[in-house]
This record gives sequence, structure tokens and C-alpha cells, in this order.
Amino acid sequence: MSHIHINLEHVSYSYEKSVPILKDISFVAHENDSIGLIGANGVGKSTLLKLLVGLNTDYEGSIRVEEMPVVKEMLPKIREKIGYVFQDSDSQLFMSTVYDDVAFAPRNYGLSEAEVEKRVCRALEMIHIEHLREKHIYKMSGGEKKMASIATILAMTPDIILMDEPSIALDPRNRRNLIHILNEFEHLKIIASHDLDMILETCSRVILMANGEIIRDGDTREILSDRELLEENGLELPLCMQRI
Amino acid sequence: MHMADALVAPAVAATMYVCSGAAAGFSVKKVRLESDPKKIPVMGVMGAFVFATQMINFTIPGTGSSGHLCGGMLLTALLGPYAAFLTMIGVLLIQCLLFADGGLLALGCNVWNMAFYGCFLGYFLCWRPMMKKGMTRGKIVGASILGCVLTLQLGAFSVTLETLLSGITELPFKVFVGTMQPIHLAIGLVEGLITSAVLLFVYQARPEMLEGGIEKEESRFSFKKTMVILLCAAVLIGGGLSLAASSHPDGLEWSIEKITGSTEVENEGNSVHEAAETIQEKTALLPDYAFKGSESLAGTSVSGIAGSLIVLVVCVGACYGFKFFRKSKR
Amino acid sequence: MDTIAERDQWVNHIHPLVKLVLTVAYIAACVSFSKYDLTGILRMGIYLIVVFILGDISFRDSLRRLRIVLPLVCFVGLFNPFFDREPYLQIGSLVITTGVISMVTLMIKGIYSVLAAYLLIATTSIEKICYALRLIHVPAILVTQILLTYRYVSVLLEEANRIMQAYALRAPNQKGVHFKVWGTLAGQLLLRSMDRANEVYESMTLRGYRGEFYYAAKEPCKGKDYLYLFVWLAVFALLIVI
Repeated sequence: MSHIHINLEHVSYSYEKSVPILKDISFVAHENDSIGLIGANGVGKSTLLKLLVGLNTDYEGSIRVEEMPVVKEMLPKIREKIGYVFQDSDSQLFMSTVYDDVAFAPRNYGLSEAEVEKRVCRALEMIHIEHLREKHIYKMSGGEKKMASIATILAMTPDIILMDEPSIALDPRNRRNLIHILNEFEHLKIIASHDLDMILETCSRVILMANGEIIRDGDTREILSDRELLEENGLELPLCMQRI
Repeated sequence: MHMADALVAPAVAATMYVCSGAAAGFSVKKVRLESDPKKIPVMGVMGAFVFATQMINFTIPGTGSSGHLCGGMLLTALLGPYAAFLTMIGVLLIQCLLFADGGLLALGCNVWNMAFYGCFLGYFLCWRPMMKKGMTRGKIVGASILGCVLTLQLGAFSVTLETLLSGITELPFKVFVGTMQPIHLAIGLVEGLITSAVLLFVYQARPEMLEGGIEKEESRFSFKKTMVILLCAAVLIGGGLSLAASSHPDGLEWSIEKITGSTEVENEGNSVHEAAETIQEKTALLPDYAFKGSESLAGTSVSGIAGSLIVLVVCVGACYGFKFFRKSKR
Repeated sequence: MDTIAERDQWVNHIHPLVKLVLTVAYIAACVSFSKYDLTGILRMGIYLIVVFILGDISFRDSLRRLRIVLPLVCFVGLFNPFFDREPYLQIGSLVITTGVISMVTLMIKGIYSVLAAYLLIATTSIEKICYALRLIHVPAILVTQILLTYRYVSVLLEEANRIMQAYALRAPNQKGVHFKVWGTLAGQLLLRSMDRANEVYESMTLRGYRGEFYYAAKEPCKGKDYLYLFVWLAVFALLIVI
């Protein structure tokens, strides 16, 4: 087994004791996996992603990222490995220009300014937004902001990428662009989304969740073509399959 | 409430910069001591929040007019006085730069008049003592109204003082104060009501967000308190003294006496105003010749205006020449 | 605003600290003119005119900013003619009193200082001003927080706007917000802002933030900048002395 992987064993979590959000979640994600995390609103997809980067650490069970347990002491190390793209780009991009924002992480990891510049340029190149380099964030469109958010985490050269609803608020062309970028990233990625067509194009494996539990974990095509299963869990067939 | 640059003399502005700067330095130290990395983003976003709510018009029942939120008092209840003070500085600086709301030179005054009173006095005199024995809805309303009224009154009074000390207006002190204070009493009441409404909502939805009554370091607090009180006292006494001193030979008359060379006044009236004037003279920022009356002066001013105009025309010409040159070079 | 500040103008490339210092010095110089020195203050306009032309800045836009400042300045100055009735200058039968002179001088001071601040912000972006503040050792906490506030002003303004629109659509006959919903309306915005602050913090920590912001070291003051600074300071000094 390569060093890039995530293990979850019997993970449960609740904000308030009486209302469990996640119940007994277990799965293993390997390098090269691209996992689509699907399920109706409020089944705990975002919560699960947040647990993986240690934004909430008072869970039960065990989460390990590259054999490091996700506990307070290990967080800085773990977070160097994982890039997390927020649903709301405005929260993710807090500096005033794209360059400064993308450079934020490399600077925090103590790289020299020359090295920082290299990293930023590379990250911008990877998603083809070199032209936005000096642009002010508040003047950018939703699509541009999303691309910039992805660049901010690529600049950390992460082993693992987590995304929360990346295709939301994107126009068709930007969405297509995003799909290309996702397919270019060869390491482990986990994408939580309702955009099943995008999942179909970017992920080889799907985890279907309902009520804080994993209902099904398997091949994308198999799950996403199972009309009955999807509709039972508040979803429907991807659009491209409905026509058939 | 925002003071413009034209209303302050450099000496007054500098003094207020020093006062506000000292308070800011102290606050920075305090916030650093808390060493909560979360504080900075929270301060930043809350500053933006205060900004945004300034744009919301709250209708005042029974009248056609509308009021706004009192930023200082709200922030101090949410973030504590030190972080709130720093946040308000940020808000005031951006307001001044982007919207010309308050001057750059007068920023020190504005920070003092609005942020210092609102955050420190609002917290230490109103919020903290009232919340000491637990929070209730009534206490929140009381503290926010009292805090807003008190801080706005002090703020308005300071505006009056700073303007008068700068020797800008001929308006007698009584008239000035008589108009400023009642207006700001009304504003304070309304702002207090709005602020209390917001705080009550927060109290219901997320009480943990409010700065609680339980503080751990009781001994340290007394030091802070004395410090704050001393600072205020110094300012108020200084202002009062200077007022008393300059009340006899006020404003213009005093200047005439100076021109005619009666040095006695200078020795007697040891006022802030006078000190300010002396400093100005020393730094040669205030030329002491252009005074009214004599024929010859009127003559010089007419020729002076003509001369100035010529200089301006030459300047404009030179600039356009410079630009033309640069463009042709490209 | 930033669009103007980022144009490729000669003045825009002057070091921000130089411009900040000059602006403050200019305003201080203007304000320190005696209240009857109308000609002196008029002459100070040179700086504004030169920078307006060099920076290629629209004069019209800047006038809009004046309307916020002028009311208070006028209020304070307006009474001078009534309290200060000494004759200053007589043209025919028209007597101009010192009060009028001091009022006009005060207004000009007000206009000049606002325009000077406008010229600063029109040729220098907020980030650059913040960088200048760092150079004069304003604490990093304060500067970072100012930058964050600046960043989120537009986001929260939009949010406030949406709330107000949603409110106005369902309460068509009201000008502002009814007092019954004061708390909930602004409170909702407050809670959302807090949540956003939380998320911003999370986003920071996920990218290695540990309580310290790092900025790139930018260009130092060059000879050109010093020259610009000293030429203007000399001009100010000259204008004050004559």
C-alpha cells in the first residue's frame, strides 16, 4: 500500500449529544482513488469532510490520514497533506489579491519568497488562471473565485484534495473546466456533491450516505445507474442517464 | 460625528493621535496576550459587519427618520474592549480613505471620540459592571442604551472641545455644546435601542458569543480600570482647564492681543490652545502676519491672489508639458 | 477605486509611504494656515492640481466625496460671519468682513484636505497603504485586521443588500426597517458574519496559519521616491513661508 491513504473506523460524531450526525462510518481511501460523496441535504457529507481535516476533533472511533491519527497534536502535519476546498469561496479567499491568497500557505510553511513565487505560478498554471494573478478577489466572478480557491490549495502541493460542492454556482463552461482540472489531479480526492453528472465524469468510486450512515460504497457507474437506490435516498439518476 | 481635517489644528490632531495611539498600543498588547489566533479573522469580519450595518436604515417608530447601529458598543459586547477598539480603528480608517468620512489628520480625534469612548468606557463603565452578576434581557437593554448615550455624549463633547481648541470656529462654546449635546442625546438613545435589539437577538440565539461577566484576572482589571480612568481624567481636565483659561480672552481677541504684543496673556493663560499655538509657531507652520484691518494688508492680499493665480497657471502648463513629453516619448 | 489606483500612472508608482507622508504633511500644512490667510491657502492648491493632472484623475468623481464632509464644515464655519464682523476689505460699497474670510478659508481647507486624501487613495491601493503602515511599525495585528475588514466589506455589504432587498420586497411600503425586526434582521446578519469569520479562520488554519501573517517584502524607497518627497516638502515649506 502506498503512503497516501485515509482510514476511517467506526467513526461517529454529533454536535449535540442527542442528535447524531454521523453513525459508525468506516471506509478506506487509497492513493489514486477518486471518491464521490453523495447523499441528500443534511446527511453529513460536509461534516465528514471537516472531520478528515480535523476541524472537529471530538469524534468517536478512529480516523487516520497517512497513518497519522487525526488528533490535535498531529493537525499541522495532517493539514500540510490535505487541501480542503470550501463551498463558499469568499470564506476561503481572505486576502485581497489572488497572488497573496495563493501564496498564503507556502509563506506559512516558511518557504523563501522565490520558492513561494514558483509555487504560486505553478498552481495558477495548473488551473489556467495565470491572467488572474494580480486581480482583486472582490472583483472576480463566482467561477473565477472557485478556480482561485482550488489554486490556493494546489499551492500547498497536497497529497489529498477534499472538495465541498465544487461545481455549485459555476456556469457550464467553468464546470467543464473544473472537471478537467479534477481529472488532471492524480492523487486521492474526495468530492462531496449533488452534481451527479460531474461525479460520474470525475470519480471512479462513490460513497452514498443517508442519515449519517454509509448506505453503499462501490463503483460509480453501478451506483449512479441504480435508479431505485438513488431515489430511495433523496437523489435521482444523473441527467445523462435519464435520457436512456 | 466624524470630524473633518479642516476642523482640527495640527497640534490638536497630533495630541489626539498620541492618545489614540497609546490606547491602540495597549490594546494590541492585550490582544496579543490573549494569543487567540482566531481573534484576528473575527475582528476583520466584524469590522466589515459594522460597516455593512451602517448601510441599513432602521426606521424609528413615530418619526419619519431612521437610525443606525452603534458600532463601538456592539463590538465591545461581542469581542471585549481591546479587540473592539482595534476593530473600530480599522473601520474608521477605511471609512476615512474610501468614503471621505472623517479626515486623515483627524483620524486620531475620531478614533478617540468614537472608538475609545464606545469601546473602553462602554465596556468598563456600563457593560462589565452591569453583567457582573449574570446577564438578563433587561440588563442588556439597559447597558447598551446607557453605554450608547454616555459614549455619544462624551464623543460629541470631545468634538466640540477639539474644534474649539483648534480655534476654528467663532461659535461660542455654549451655543456649540448646546446644539451638539441634545442632538447626540437623541442619536444615542436610538442607537442604544438598535444595539440592544441586536444584542438581545444574539443573547437568545447564541449567548456564548457575548463577552461574559465572569473574568478571571480580577487584580489585573483594577490596573486597567485606573489606567483608563486616569487617561480620561487627564483629557477632561486638560480640556476643562484650557476652556477656563481661554474663556476671557477667547478666540480672536486673544489673537489680537498676541499680535499687539501683550506678552502677559501668554504667560498667564497657560492653556492647551496656547501651547498648541506656540508649537505651531515654533514649527513655523503658522505664519503670524496675515491679519485683518490695515489697508496695506488688503492690498497685499489682492496682489497675493493675483500672484498665486499666475503660479497656478504656470504649474498647470508645466504639468501638461510634462505629460505631453512623456506620451511622445512612448 | 482600486481600478484607478492600479493604473499605470507615474504617480501610482511612487512609494506608498512617500505618498502617505506627503498627504499627511500637506493636510497638516493646509490646516495650519491662519484662518484669515485666504491667499496662502489658495496657493496650497498647487499640489492638488499637479497631482490631479499627473495622476490623470477625474476631478468630477472626487467632488462627490465632498458632499459628506462639507455639511459639518459649513455648519461650523457658517456662524463666523455673524460673530466676527470686523471689516476686512472694501470693494465699492461691498464690505467683506473677517468672518466671511475665515469662513471661506475654512471651507477651502475642508475641500483641500478631502481632495488630498482622495488623491492618496486614488493613486495608492489600500494594500499599499497598509504596507506603508507596516513600514512605520504599525502593529501587524492592526494592519492584518484592516486588510481583512477591507476584504470582507464588499462581501458583507452584498449580504446586507440581499437582506434589505428581501425585506423590501415583502414590506413594500416601508422606507427602512421596522423596529420590531431590528434585532432579528441585523442579528441574523451578525450571526452569519460570525459563521463566516469562523470559516475564514478554518480556511486559514487549514493552510498553515498559526497566528502570524507573512507578507512579501516589497520594493524599498528609491532615489526617485526621495526626490518626489523632498521636492514637495520644499514646495510646501516655500508656500508657507511666502
